[in-house]
Amino acid sequence: MVNSHLYKGEHLSSLKYLSSSILESFKKRRDKKLRKIKDALIKEASINSSRLYFELAVVAYILSKITSKPRLTGPEYHGYLKEIEVAVRELANATRQGKKDEELFAFIKKIEKSVNRMERVDQRFFRDLVSKGRLKLAATMYAQGLSLGTASDMSGMDKHDIQDYAGNTLMFDRVKEEVRPKERMKKLKRYVKK
Amino acid sequence: MTKHIVCDSGSLISLTSSCLMDLLYFFSKKDIKFVIPPAVKEEAVDYPVRRGIKRFLFSALRINNAIKNGTLTAVEDPGISIETRRMMELANNMFFVRGKPLKLIHAGESEMLVLAHQVGIDYLLIDERTTRMLIEAPFRLKEHLEKEFGINVMINKNNFKQFREMFGSMNVIRSSELVMLAYDYGFFNKFEDMKKQVLEAALYRIKFSGCSIGFDEIREYLRG
Repeated sequence: MVNSHLYKGEHLSSLKYLSSSILESFKKRRDKKLRKIKDALIKEASINSSRLYFELAVVAYILSKITSKPRLTGPEYHGYLKEIEVAVRELANATRQGKKDEELFAFIKKIEKSVNRMERVDQRFFRDLVSKGRLKLAATMYAQGLSLGTASDMSGMDKHDIQDYAGNTLMFDRVKEEVRPKERMKKLKRYVKK
Repeated sequence: MTKHIVCDSGSLISLTSSCLMDLLYFFSKKDIKFVIPPAVKEEAVDYPVRRGIKRFLFSALRINNAIKNGTLTAVEDPGISIETRRMMELANNMFFVRGKPLKLIHAGESEMLVLAHQVGIDYLLIDERTTRMLIEAPFRLKEHLEKEFGINVMINKNNFKQFREMFGSMNVIRSSELVMLAYDYGFFNKFEDMKKQVLEAALYRIKFSGCSIGFDEIREYLRG
């Protein structure tokens, strides 16, 4: 998986460890591992209110989607995948070198551009893959417990879109409500009839 | 006597997305008025109109129309922004993870709470889940955050106490409760013997539009 001697002492949640893990997992086409990395990154993004961790989570998510499709690892895609790998390596190196966030965002943009180029060969799959990934992860942050406004601010996605997406998931069914419907209606009716 | 309810942008989004904007007009005729702070107007109307975001333009213009005809009151209070910053500081320094504050809510959500507090309105229409839980069930929110992050969440007692003192007694309703109240008031009577079916459909529609209501709650409503 990840050569542990290279990352001795790095906390598993650190940017250096996670960005290098993205590279290693992408090279080995390990979609499940990339999903786990994405989960770790989105958790850190929420805890630290970090746009950078969020954008890296989007990268991990996109790459997990690509590596989960065996047909996309065929010879006709090798050139494109190599281009993505080079961009991911540049990002991993940049984080290891401790480059500033603004510089890292530029490397992330390069990865997204490389992914978007694959639309030429498979429009149906790659069209809007990046924005769909961003929306899904924004909704994930909302589901984790950040407010809709905070998730919107961190991800750059519109509140409307996140709310609409969230409405079509089970996130509101997973947390038991403290105030039951009868009690809410009783209070409301009392208020309006006063 | 007029009853006022302060709304968040999420509830306006849910209502317009599910074609239930008419509920606001319906209640307005029954002397129930809806109020929004500047940030909610900015999110729901000004931003989509200014940016020409076609997907949201129709909703934005409908909400703007409701403001123009007095169904929805948009407050323009310059004093709110200072209090909002203070309130955000409080709310976003209540829960701590690994010794760092967890930034939970945004300016728009804070501004709505500040407005309600300043003008003495105790009823809030919030479809967004986190702000609602901060008021109704902060410990359940804490548990949820711990479960999601797999990590302990600590509470700053002073900030928590201050927040509870300001907002703990406020009552939160969602657009689903507006739908239920509208049913009681005869809003769905035009559907005659289908009105119960339409109510059910409206509740599901509002849920899928992002109102933070669960399927079990909808079933509870329909059981009566």
